Amino acid sequence: MEQTSRNFLGNAHTALGDEARAERRDLLALFQPIMRQSAVDDFAAHEATRAHVKKVRQHTLDNLAYYLARYEEQATHNGNHVHFARDAAQMNSIVLDICQRHDAQRIAKGKSMVTEETGLNEHLARAGLDVRETDLGEYIVQQAGETPSHIVGPALHKSADEIRELFLEKHDLGERDLLETSDMVAEARQVLREHFLTADVGIIGANALIAENGYSMLVTNEGNGDLCANLPSVLIVCATIDRILPRAEDATAMLRLLVRSATGQPQTCYTSFYSGPRRAPDPDGPLETHIVLLDNERSDILDSGYREILACIRCGACLTHCPIYAGVGGHAYGSVYSGPMGSVLTPLLTSLEESAALPNACTSCGRCAEICPADIPLPDLLRDLRSEEREQRLSPLRWRFGLKMHAWLAAQPALYRLLTGLGIRALHRLARGRGRFRRLPLAGGWSSQRDFPAPQQKTFMQLYRERDRHDG
Amino acid sequence: MTDRDARTDIFARLQHSASGLSNNDILREQWALGSAPAPALPGSDLHEAFLTNVLKNQGTVDCAAGRVGTVKAIAAHLYANYRKHRLVASNDQRLAALPWRDGGLLPRFGSVEANEQVALSYARLGVAELGAVVTFTGKANPAANNLLPEQHVVLVDAADVVAASEQAWERIAALTEAEERPRGINFIAGPSSTADIEGQLVYGAHGPKAWHVILVGDLPDSILQQARANAGVQT
Repeated sequence: MEQTSRNFLGNAHTALGDEARAERRDLLALFQPIMRQSAVDDFAAHEATRAHVKKVRQHTLDNLAYYLARYEEQATHNGNHVHFARDAAQMNSIVLDICQRHDAQRIAKGKSMVTEETGLNEHLARAGLDVRETDLGEYIVQQAGETPSHIVGPALHKSADEIRELFLEKHDLGERDLLETSDMVAEARQVLREHFLTADVGIIGANALIAENGYSMLVTNEGNGDLCANLPSVLIVCATIDRILPRAEDATAMLRLLVRSATGQPQTCYTSFYSGPRRAPDPDGPLETHIVLLDNERSDILDSGYREILACIRCGACLTHCPIYAGVGGHAYGSVYSGPMGSVLTPLLTSLEESAALPNACTSCGRCAEICPADIPLPDLLRDLRSEEREQRLSPLRWRFGLKMHAWLAAQPALYRLLTGLGIRALHRLARGRGRFRRLPLAGGWSSQRDFPAPQQKTFMQLYRERDRHDG
Repeated sequence: MTDRDARTDIFARLQHSASGLSNNDILREQWALGSAPAPALPGSDLHEAFLTNVLKNQGTVDCAAGRVGTVKAIAAHLYANYRKHRLVASNDQRLAALPWRDGGLLPRFGSVEANEQVALSYARLGVAELGAVVTFTGKANPAANNLLPEQHVVLVDAADVVAASEQAWERIAALTEAEERPRGINFIAGPSSTADIEGQLVYGAHGPKAWHVILVGDLPDSILQQARANAGVQT
């Protein structure tokens, strides 16, 4: 996708102005954390599992060359063709080449963030292939010509009414009402079942690649990924090299964290492990299977101070727990990955220059680090990126100037107290007892979507001193 | 840059940031990692926990003892839901050996075709922690039978139910040592579902709309009732 992270503030402003969508985001930000919390509360071993999986991932990343080689050896032994790609363009061309060698026309695709990252769909479509996303949410955003707004719930920004209109427009199925959600699901099932049965190539991602046996793990609730993996005669698995885990049991241990953090379920409906092409006596399954292993900056990230982001399991919990994400939604980030993990990953995958706004889209509230199942210190990584921005002079001049002024002022306690005292008293007077401002000069962006609470008459330090005197 | 060049390049970069441990030391460190902590199971009995979690995953459950009892349980479920006696059974020897006539059933053995509503599989394992059955793709269980029918009915032997994923992998490793590694190992824990439209849960997104598990073995009479009570499901 075309990255528009440079315009994060503009995107965010537009998003905040769309009241219906803002309301839906508020609802999701309320319910999704409740679902996760209730699943985690029911799982007594959550913290211990989190610590265990973190150790496993650390060990794997420390020895990634070893485990990647083991995986390659086992996957080859299982009958796969294993390919390596340095960057997005190379992955796309490897996949297109496989499709063209089989004269493929119709492609059924399971949800895969990696292929979103490389823009595979557009690449295949330019070559004239009919690429259909099959996860319902992905299918909806593909039909609407949009991109996913969330890793796990790609179309949750759209209302049922919008989706009904979309289906009525896109599916040539005659007169019908599609009143219920279940009617829309049934229609998508019918349309996509036909595509599954006639597709030449299936493309899926992988939640984990297992070094000891060469299997890849695929996790879905809909079963769409499994249909992609089992019905077409050619299967292509696209994954990044950081998805490797040593043992099969490591993948299922990680899964215990993934499902609870992603959807609040204790277990996903379909957790499948695929090893390669169909065996001689098998009645079904692909005849040829390819694994494309993408680096795309991962080896550089591994060698940097940001390697912990490679432990991310793509559950999307940091998105749903982030006040900024809840406010502006996934599209405002203007990149494939949004929310806290996206604000760390995007600058590392593209450039800090293009993505300079993203590490600043953070209130440092720390909620993401608290709930991250991979225990990634997201606020610390975001702070490090901001600090790099300052060093590279990437942030706007007025921000840098403002911060410099603030740093200077904060180092002069007497002057700081005097000025903040004056400011707060002035604001208190201006509010004339209303308790809030609808508009504030110089802070129009802030107050365009919400009121600014008027300060009490005194600063914290003034109140603290008064109390001290009173008590003393 | 070719595939092979990319491979060389990626490995060279990874070597740069590698720990530098020898292969033996890596394996020693891996061994020292141990296993994840065992998850707690609902109730005190393994089979009760398995049935409870299948119910929590929106499956329906039944228990059956003996081969005649199994056929009768399948027949009762089929008749209650579809008022018919036809189904597609996977080519599993254990299914072939069932006394179908005792339940008045007419199975067709093979892969599910369009317009066939119910498919029957015999699972390799049940995993209590997950409320999941595990099937291997292959002659004995075509992948299509897990995915294409409206309803998937799965038998699992009580002796094949294990507590957690770790034990499941031990059993799978033992099974695949004797046979070739299967192409697909499928952990199934529910009917196909989606919440992609406004977060509303709908069953039958792409795969089966319903999922019925029959636990086969000599089990206490009260086990179903207890599992339903644990899962908060009305009888």
